[in-house]
Amino acid sequence: MTFSLTLSVSDLLLLLPELFLTAWLCVVLIVDFSFKRIVQEQLAYLSILGLVITLACLAWFDVTGITGTLFGKMFVLDRMAIFFKVMILLATILVILLSIDYVHRFSFFRGEYYFLVVMSALGMMFMTSANDLLSLFVTLEFATFGFYVLVSYLRDDMASNEAGLKFFILGVFAAGLLAYGISLVYGETGKLVFSDMTGAAPTTGLVIGFLLIFAALGFKIGAVPFHSWIPDTYHGAPTPVTAFLSIAPKVAAFAILLRLFLVALATFKPAWALLIVAASILSMTYGNIVAIAQRNVKRLLAYSGIAQVGNVLIGLAAGTKMGTDSILFYLLTYLFANLGAFAVIMAISNAVGSDEIDDYSGLNRRSPFLAFAMLIFLLSLAGVPPLAGFIGKLYIFVAAIKEGLYILITVGLVNIVVSMYYYLIVVKKMYISEPLDSSPIKTTGPLRAVIYVGLAGTLVIGIYPQPFLDWAVAATLMFSNLLGPAASIPVPVAPFGG
Amino acid sequence: MAEYTLLIILFAPFVGALALIFVSNRQLSLVRGIAAGSAFVSLIASVYLFYAYDPLKGGYQFIQRIEWSRQLGISLHLGVDGIGTPLVLASGILLFAGIFVSWHIKDRVKEFYIWILILAAATIGVFMSLDLFFLYFFYEMSVIPMYLLLGMWGSHTKKYLEMTDAEGLKQRDSVGFIFNFGANSKEYAAMKLVLFLSAFAVAALMGILLIYKFSGLNTFDILVLREQAHFSGPLATLIWLLIFFGFASIAPIWPLHSWSPVGHAAAPAATSMLHAGVLMKLGHFSIIRVAFEILPETTRELMPIAAVLCIFSIIYGGLVAYYAKDTKYVIGYSSSSHMGYVFLGMAALDYISLSGAVIYMFAHAMATGMLFAMAGWVYDQTHTRDIPSLGGLSNRMPFISAAFVIGCMASIGMPGTVNFIAEVMIIVGSWNKYPFQVVVAVLGIVLTMAYLFKMMRGLFYGSMAEKYSHSHDAVTVVDRMPLLIMITVSISFGIFPGHLYSVVRSGVDPLIARITKVVPVAEHPMNLPHATSPTVPTSASHEALAKVTPR
Repeated sequence: MTFSLTLSVSDLLLLLPELFLTAWLCVVLIVDFSFKRIVQEQLAYLSILGLVITLACLAWFDVTGITGTLFGKMFVLDRMAIFFKVMILLATILVILLSIDYVHRFSFFRGEYYFLVVMSALGMMFMTSANDLLSLFVTLEFATFGFYVLVSYLRDDMASNEAGLKFFILGVFAAGLLAYGISLVYGETGKLVFSDMTGAAPTTGLVIGFLLIFAALGFKIGAVPFHSWIPDTYHGAPTPVTAFLSIAPKVAAFAILLRLFLVALATFKPAWALLIVAASILSMTYGNIVAIAQRNVKRLLAYSGIAQVGNVLIGLAAGTKMGTDSILFYLLTYLFANLGAFAVIMAISNAVGSDEIDDYSGLNRRSPFLAFAMLIFLLSLAGVPPLAGFIGKLYIFVAAIKEGLYILITVGLVNIVVSMYYYLIVVKKMYISEPLDSSPIKTTGPLRAVIYVGLAGTLVIGIYPQPFLDWAVAATLMFSNLLGPAASIPVPVAPFGG
Repeated sequence: MAEYTLLIILFAPFVGALALIFVSNRQLSLVRGIAAGSAFVSLIASVYLFYAYDPLKGGYQFIQRIEWSRQLGISLHLGVDGIGTPLVLASGILLFAGIFVSWHIKDRVKEFYIWILILAAATIGVFMSLDLFFLYFFYEMSVIPMYLLLGMWGSHTKKYLEMTDAEGLKQRDSVGFIFNFGANSKEYAAMKLVLFLSAFAVAALMGILLIYKFSGLNTFDILVLREQAHFSGPLATLIWLLIFFGFASIAPIWPLHSWSPVGHAAAPAATSMLHAGVLMKLGHFSIIRVAFEILPETTRELMPIAAVLCIFSIIYGGLVAYYAKDTKYVIGYSSSSHMGYVFLGMAALDYISLSGAVIYMFAHAMATGMLFAMAGWVYDQTHTRDIPSLGGLSNRMPFISAAFVIGCMASIGMPGTVNFIAEVMIIVGSWNKYPFQVVVAVLGIVLTMAYLFKMMRGLFYGSMAEKYSHSHDAVTVVDRMPLLIMITVSISFGIFPGHLYSVVRSGVDPLIARITKVVPVAEHPMNLPHATSPTVPTSASHEALAKVTPR
C-alpha cells in the first residue's frame, strides 16, 4: 500500500470543516482556561458558533458539490458523508443547548464539558468519512473517547459512575473485537480500503472478521444482542449526554455500516442480509417489549431507541439505493423527535427533579406546551401521521417491500402497534391522570429553543417531506449502481445542490 | 373557487385547530367561536359540494392533485364520487352539530375543540382521498384524537361490570371479556380502541404495501392502480383479506367489534357522535374504495364472507343492545348491529343494495348522531347512564324526549326518514342473492324496535326518581340547533331522496358494473336485472322506490 502524503491546498479544502472545528476546539479550551471568570453559558454559545460555522461550510460543500478522497482513500468526503455530518452537527448544537441549564449540576470542569462534547462531535464527523479499516478504528475510538468521560461526568452520583464503567468496559471490549476483526480481514484480503475489498473470496477468516466488525458496530448502534449497556448507561448518564448518546453515535455508526456493507461487502448481500434481518427483528421485538415494563422515562427511551435501531436496520437489510435513502431520512426524523423528547424530559427533570413516568402525571395541566411537545415527539417515534416518524417508517417499509422482505415488514408493522402502547402510557399520564402537584412548570430559553426546533422538524418533515427526501436521495447517489428498482426512478434535483 | 371546494372542506377544521392553539383557554367565547366558525365553513362547503356534484357526469369530481413525494409516487390526490360526497356531507353536519353538543364542556375547552376538529378533518380526508397513502394517512390520523378525547373528557364505564340481568348473571361484552380483566375504565376503553384500530390498520397497510409492490407501478394513486394493476390468485386473496379485515375492524364487523361499544360508552357525546356517525363508516368506505376499486374480481369471489359475518353483527349486536342497561351501550351495540346492514348491502354487489348501503351510512350517521347527542344530554343532567335507575324524564325534558322519539324512529327505519329508504333498498337489493340474510335483517329491525322502545320507555316514561327533578331540558338555540339540524336532514332526505339517490347511484353504478360485469338498465331502478326475478317487492318498497326520481 502506498499513501500519497503530499497534501495540496485543494485537498485541505476537503478537510476544512474538521480542521476548522479542531482549531475552534482549541479556542474553546483556551478561552475556558484563560478567562477564569467566563460564564459557562458564553462558552456554550462560543461552541455553538463554531459548530454553526462548520455547518455553513458543509452546506457550501453540498451546494457546490465539492467531494473527493484524501490520504489514499482513507478519508472520503461525499454527499452521504456531508449528510451525516450535518446531522451530527445539528445534534451537537441541540445537545449543547440542552446542556446549558444542566451544567450547573456539575460541581467542576464545566468548561471542559463543552470541549468534550465538541470533541466527540469532531470524532464522529471523521467517522462518517472513514473509508478504510484503519480510519474506521481510529475515528471510532476517537469518537467514543469523549463519551467515556461524559457519561460519568456526575462524579458524585453512583448511577453515573456505574453507567460510565459499564460503558467503558463494554466499549473497550467492543474496540478489542473491532481490532481483531480488522486484523483478520486485513490478513485475508490484504486490503484496507472498503472499495478495494469487493470480490474477495469468502474465506472463514474473512467471515469471522466481518462478524467481529459488525459486533463492534452493533455495540455502537445498540442493536440486539449488543445492547446490554444501553439501559443502564442511558439511565445513569447526565441527561444531555444521554440525548447525545442516543442519536449521534448511531448516526455515525450507520455511515460506517452503509459503507462497509454496501461497498465492501456488496457481493455478499444474500449472506449478510440474513444477519441484518435477524438483528433487526430481535432489536425491534426486544426493545419494544421490554420498554413496556419501564417506569423511568430515560430507560423507556433507551429501549425505544433499541427498537428504533431495529427499524433502521430494515433499510440496511433491503440493501438498495432506496434502502439507503430511507436510512438517512429515518435518522433525520429520529434526530428531531428524540432530541425534542429529551428536551422535554430535561425541562421536567429541572422542575420536578425526577425522570419517573409517574411524575409526568397531569403534565397537560401543569404545562400544556411541554405536554403537547412530548405528545408530538412520542407519536413521531411511534410513527403516527402526520408526523415525521410515520413518513420515515413508511419509506423504510416501501424500500423493504420492494426487496420482498415480507417477514421483516410484518414484524415491523406489529411492532408499531406494540410501541404505540408504551408511548401512549406516557401520553395517558400526561393528559389523563391528574397532577400530583399542580404548580406550573417553567422552561428556560435554550430548552424551549430545542423543543421548537424539534417540533418544527417533526411537523415540517411529516407534512411536506419532499425536500428532505430529495436531499437524502441526492446524498446516496453513489449507491445507484446497487441492484434494486429504486435505481430506475428518475433522480430529482436536490435543493442543496446537485 | 369551486375547484378548491375539497381543500376548503378538508383544511377549514385544520386551520381552526391551528388557530385555537394560539388562543388562551380563558377566552371561552372566542374558542367556541373559532371552532364553530371553522366547522361552519366546512359544513357550507360540503353542502355546496353535495349539490354541485353532478350525478349525470358521475365519476370523480372536484379533483385536486398536489405532488407530494416523487420517490414514493405519492400525491395529495383528492376527489369525490357519488359514494364519498354524502359521507363528506354527513361528516360536515356531524362536526358542526358536535361543536354545539359539546358547548357546555368545562374542562380544557380549547384542547377539546382542537382534537375534535382534527378528528373530523382526518375523517373527511379519508372520504376524499384518491391516493392509498393519504387514505391510510388520514385513517391513522383519526385514531389518536380518539384516544385523547376518550381519555380526557370521557367517563368511566366501571358500572357496566357490576350490571346484572334478572337472574343475577353478569352481562359482559363477550369478546371484550377476554381482554377486560376487570378494568373497565375510560383509559382502558381508549387504549383498547387505539390498539385495536392500529393493529388492524397495519394489516391494511400491509395490504396497501403489497398492492404497491405487485402492481409494479411505483404509485399509490387509486385511479392509476384501478386502471392498470391486475391481481389474481392467492396474492389477490391475501391482499383482499388484509384490506377487508384491516378496515372492517373499524366498521366494526363481528367479531372485531368489541372495542367499539366500550369506546362509545367512554366517549363524550360529540366524540360518540363522530365515532358512530362517520368514523365507523371509514371501514366500509375504505373497503369500497380500495378493495372494490382495485380488486374487483376478488371482491366478487370473497364478498360472501361479509354476507356471513353480517348475520352475526346484526343479531349479536341487537341482542346485546336489548340486554344492555347503559344508554350508550345500547346505542353503541345498535350501531354495530346496524353496520351489519351496510355489510349486507355491500356483500350483495347489486346496484340497489350497494346504493342502499351508502345511503344507510348517511342515514345512520344522522340517526345515531341524534341518539348519542341526547344520551349525552341525559347523562350531563342526571350523571348516570343506567337505564333502570332513570325514568319519567319526559316531564323534565319534553324537547329532548320528543327528539329522542324521532331519533329512535329514524334509527328503526320509520317511513319518512331516510333510514327507511336505505333499509328497503338494502333488503330489496340483496333479496335475490341472500334471502336468508334478508330474513335476518328484517328480524333485526324488529329487534331494533324492541331495544329502542325499551330504552325510550326506560329513560323518558314511567315514574321519575326525585333526585332527577332538577334536570333541565334543552331550551337555548345552541342546545336545540344540532338536534334540529340532524332531524331536518333525516326527514327531508326521507321525503325527497331524489338528489341523494342519484348522487349515490352515479358512484355505485360504475363500481358494480366493474365488479359484476353486468351493465345496468339505468333508466329506472325497477328495470334493473335483478328486478326481473319472480320475487315481487312488498308494497312498502314499491312506495319507497316510486319516490325515487329517475336519473
